[in-house]
Amino acid sequence: MSMLPPPTTLPTPQNMATVLPTVVDGGKSITVSSFKITTRKLPILNAQEIDAMTEKLGIAPPEMIFGNNIVSIEKIGSEEGGWKIEFNALDALDLVDKTGSDMLKVAYSAAWQKQREKMHEGIKEVVKPFDWTYSTNYQGSITGTKEFTPTTDQIPLDKLRRQDPILFFDDVMLYEDELADNGMSILSVKIRVMPARLLLLARFYMRLDDVVFRIRDTRVFVEFAEGVVLREYQEKEDSYENVKKKFPPWRDDIPAIMRDPNQMAEYLPLKSVKVEKLVL
Amino acid sequence: MPGLPVDLDACIERLYKRELLAEPVIEAICAKTKELLMRESNVVHILSPVTVVGDIHGQFYDLLEIFRIGGFCPDTNYLFLGDYVDRGLFSVETISLLVCLKLRYPNRVHLIRGNHESRGVTQSYGFYTECARKYGSANVWHHFTDMFDFLTLSVVINNDIFCVHGGLSPSIHSIDQIKIIDRFREIPHEGPMADLVWSDPDAERDEFALSPRGAGYTFGAQVVKKFLEINNFSHILRAHQLCQEGYQVLYDDRLSTVWSAPNYCYRCGNLASVLEVDDAGSRFFNVFDQAPENAENRVDQQPVEKAQVEYFL
Repeated sequence: MSMLPPPTTLPTPQNMATVLPTVVDGGKSITVSSFKITTRKLPILNAQEIDAMTEKLGIAPPEMIFGNNIVSIEKIGSEEGGWKIEFNALDALDLVDKTGSDMLKVAYSAAWQKQREKMHEGIKEVVKPFDWTYSTNYQGSITGTKEFTPTTDQIPLDKLRRQDPILFFDDVMLYEDELADNGMSILSVKIRVMPARLLLLARFYMRLDDVVFRIRDTRVFVEFAEGVVLREYQEKEDSYENVKKKFPPWRDDIPAIMRDPNQMAEYLPLKSVKVEKLVL
Repeated sequence: MPGLPVDLDACIERLYKRELLAEPVIEAICAKTKELLMRESNVVHILSPVTVVGDIHGQFYDLLEIFRIGGFCPDTNYLFLGDYVDRGLFSVETISLLVCLKLRYPNRVHLIRGNHESRGVTQSYGFYTECARKYGSANVWHHFTDMFDFLTLSVVINNDIFCVHGGLSPSIHSIDQIKIIDRFREIPHEGPMADLVWSDPDAERDEFALSPRGAGYTFGAQVVKKFLEINNFSHILRAHQLCQEGYQVLYDDRLSTVWSAPNYCYRCGNLASVLEVDDAGSRFFNVFDQAPENAENRVDQQPVEKAQVEYFL
């Protein structure tokens, strides 16, 4: 297939806001205070690549699989060797439960099974059970010897609320599945780089209609001058029934809200949170 | 078209320019389409040449691209395999145009029902929201989804190629069993009608298997072979599954998947294809990339396309 050549020039900070990233690009990067940030957006995997990934993972990948996309933050020029955190679909999917031990079922599964048993008792074989909602607690893949340790520090939201100029921004899809029209499952990574710091948000969102809503957020914050990296991981979840009660009755765009992970984040209660720190 | 109080050619001309039709016009057109579709069997027999189109999902400019590549109606005969709406930005325009073309050229345009031609699915995946936004009420959505109940379930080309949206069903061995389905209804969760629009092939298997989701089937190589033998067909042609190459051929050329939404959801970067079946019944995939207009039209229209710089937290 034909692909667009990688961009030869990067947009300057001044015109970033008006330049839209191309749908498919070969990758772009920026280096700020010895941190190199790279994103790459390529088409979904082809049949051969899907076969290779299926073999590696042991499960069928999601319907829309952006297996060549990455977002990475790398500390360069350090004397003690490099350090890098990268987000990619393969590693994220490798953490999906492949045993089917706490597998969810679509809302009408019981009725479907009952009807089916009457008609086709012979068909017993289930395609290898696994968590087909592709729920993952992925928090990035790390290279380098430095390790995160638990901390009571918090990501400084006040600093991030300031409208500092954004030198680099990207929104990179890793995978998405429509759960055979029973909801949606999506993992995407956003990053914004300001002159003194950066914020990355890897958000997994899953809606299984009439069953459950689930969000898993990994935030990576870097304060360049101090070399401080904070990583926060949050789980949010609630039953479909509970969440539906929280929607204001006057909203007539609820289907659209339920497709939008960012709006849904406000409707789901926090189940757990942990923050880790590392100084480079 | 007798009894239709609108000028179809004028409607088609407007729709090619991506102009919406008025709500009463949609209502009249859907009513007339129902009358037409009601007379179609659950298995419609047609002859080649015909160009077969897979999922479009509201990608209107890519539909125009298909006509530019494959020829406009009625110069080229078309068979659409379903999933006209949801996901893309222009589901209303896409289904409006296809329905007008069906009414204008009923023997040259055939529309099969996909799993998205349903009330339940369109409420979750965009068509309902788009109708409400573009018309200020859900009336148009009701007109279209009521009409969806009348779409046929399958087509056979040259008594040789079986065409369906999803795939096979353990309840169906012979196409006579399709003919007796009561299809004039919302797509149910279970049974043969559901299977025809939902099921997927699994090249690793021979027989039917249960999906890990707890509902739905996959069908394997022996199932395909047996179905073709019993019905004396040589090939199954279906859509329903995204593929980066725009098409996929399985089971020793016994089954093809055709996918016609390039750069699906304006972000997948995949190719698309239409399958041309010529006079002699030979199959040829015509592969294409997304229409250039997509880039110009997606930005202001799509709230979920957050391409712009954003101060997220």
